[in-house]
Amino acid sequence: MKRLKTSCAAAALAAASMTVVAIPASAQTMLDAGQEVDMVLLPKFLGILVFDQAHEGAQEAHAELGNPGELLFVGPTPENSVAGQIEIMTTSATQGQGAVMLSNNAGDQIVPSAQAAQDAGTRVVTWDSPIPSGDGEDVFVAQVDFGSIGVVMADMAHSILDGSGQMAVLSATPDAANQNAWIAAMEEALEMPKYADIELVDIVYGDDQAEVSYNRALALVDQYPDLGLIMSPTTVGIQASSKAMQDEGLCEQVRVSGLGLPAEMVSYTLNGCAPEFALWDFRDLGYLTYYTAYGLATGQLSGEIGESFTAGRMGEYTIEEDPGRPGTRRILMGPFTVYNADNVEAAAQ
Amino acid sequence: MMRVLSNLNPQTLRILALLLVLTLVILFFSTQISNYLNGRLFNRISSSVAIMALIATAQTLVILTRNIDLSVGSIVGFTAFATGSLIAAFPNMNPLLLVAFSMLVGAGFGAFNGFFVAYARVPAIIVTLATMALFRSLLVEFADGKSITSSLLPQWLTSFPNTPLFEIGQFQFRAAFVVAIVIVFAVHIALQRLRVARRLYAVGSNPEAAEMAGINLKATVFVAFVCSGALAGLAGFMFLARFGNITVVAGLGFELKSVAAAVVGGVNIFGGSGTVLGALIGAILVDLIETSLVRWQLVSEFWREAVLGALILTAVALDAIVMRRLIALRAARHHEKREQKMEGTG
Repeated sequence: MKRLKTSCAAAALAAASMTVVAIPASAQTMLDAGQEVDMVLLPKFLGILVFDQAHEGAQEAHAELGNPGELLFVGPTPENSVAGQIEIMTTSATQGQGAVMLSNNAGDQIVPSAQAAQDAGTRVVTWDSPIPSGDGEDVFVAQVDFGSIGVVMADMAHSILDGSGQMAVLSATPDAANQNAWIAAMEEALEMPKYADIELVDIVYGDDQAEVSYNRALALVDQYPDLGLIMSPTTVGIQASSKAMQDEGLCEQVRVSGLGLPAEMVSYTLNGCAPEFALWDFRDLGYLTYYTAYGLATGQLSGEIGESFTAGRMGEYTIEEDPGRPGTRRILMGPFTVYNADNVEAAAQ
Repeated sequence: MMRVLSNLNPQTLRILALLLVLTLVILFFSTQISNYLNGRLFNRISSSVAIMALIATAQTLVILTRNIDLSVGSIVGFTAFATGSLIAAFPNMNPLLLVAFSMLVGAGFGAFNGFFVAYARVPAIIVTLATMALFRSLLVEFADGKSITSSLLPQWLTSFPNTPLFEIGQFQFRAAFVVAIVIVFAVHIALQRLRVARRLYAVGSNPEAAEMAGINLKATVFVAFVCSGALAGLAGFMFLARFGNITVVAGLGFELKSVAAAVVGGVNIFGGSGTVLGALIGAILVDLIETSLVRWQLVSEFWREAVLGALILTAVALDAIVMRRLIALRAARHHEKREQKMEGTG
């Protein structure tokens, strides 16, 4: 009797497990842990806090998946970001790395080396900043929908300027793919009637360097006496602009907004220089990127549009066509948080 | 007019010529950019040039000895970060001790460069090209992905650079600018008056002769690098105070800007001649052109560097041609005078 009971239970279990297997085969893949694959996380350059946060997220996923292979975090030094990224991409292919996770700072110049890597069997997963043409890229893990960043920035501008006024953009480098896409999305959003009284007067570039951004911000104020807002979609630029406005006592006249890290922005948000800004979680971005790259490199994911998988604690994600770059594929992470005086202190901890 | 000019010493002449170019540039941009000529322009340029003035001075000390320092940007970045970490860890530290720390760190890097250039006899351009990357990588390693933010720094430090010491009309003389100017003038006077400092010129203009005269070439070059490093360290301190937010890209590109400032300021790239006062005006000129180009709508972002490069080239070429003319004119007049004298005696 007892024996029968156990065998019944076993049969039930087997049936149950069969159905469990049957369902994901049609829709969603549970990634098998423990497979060995070496992977490289390649940021724009080393030494910026957000990229280290992404690395932490990738390390978390690496441990969780029990990958006996190696997770390398390598990047160029800031002064040769473009050449350094191409070199690391090339080296990774010759080393036979399973995947390279790239935050691209080299525009389409990275394409030949990325394609060579793919030919050598290395999967190329971009995150944070994609390859503009999509060539040489398996899939892009987008932090948020690039179009919706544009709307959020336009909305922040609308609320800070109280509906009307002049704003200018202070971006990173002129060829940063992500910032350019966000600015384009914001310009598109500004066409809507709601924002009719907001005038975008200029777009300047601070090269993601504190001193350049600081001087550019002041030059904007001098150039446009009626400027009400500087929108900076980069963590370096928003901080430098806020400091510049605070130093020159201009915070009452010119506000700052954009994308920033709560820990770096908390004082400027509380004193009113930068009343509102937004960002997503870079740890989550690194975590999701790792899951995606692991799935592709171990052959558990093919990278086709419509394919779904579960990325650990973050839940289910689907590969889809990137609306911003037709013909390319992306995984959309989202959402992001808008910070203001109410929630910035808690987030800065 | 020509007579007056040709009787001035070439150093003074050069500084006058630079001031003339500076005025012309300001006049040109005032016709191109609205709201240009006002006190704000002075305040902007003076606060931003305070840092570059020190770096250009540091660069000049080394160039005078027929060398170059391409690692100044990395030294500035590293000292800014290290000084920021130190004051964040010990917020009650004595300000003078903090300044001493940053100069010491800079001097240490300078000594490293100086050792290889002076004693191992490796060309300075190679040594400092290597240490530019080396010091920057050290910073990346040391920073470990963290950045210094102004919230970590004490109030006195971040408010120091912008504290107006005195005002003349719309012109504010802020602490950082005044300190930088005082230091540049002190170095200038030392270089013109002190026997020890004159050795830099001797070594740069004719090393063989300098050695014959009993000057220790190696020690002189070594000391030039150490002093230059200390000044770059001080610039790192000023950088930290002004910007507050320090990442690993801090000071990137300063090496080229400082060389440009020195060369535009009339410091001979082959050593032996030039003044730090000239380098200061060179730094002001480069900064002014850069700031104005940002506001000049005619030039797009992508062409700005090119226009800046072309302007620097023009400035240097013009300066060289005019100086050569004047020197020739002077020589001719001397010759004339001598002939008159000969005729008189004969």
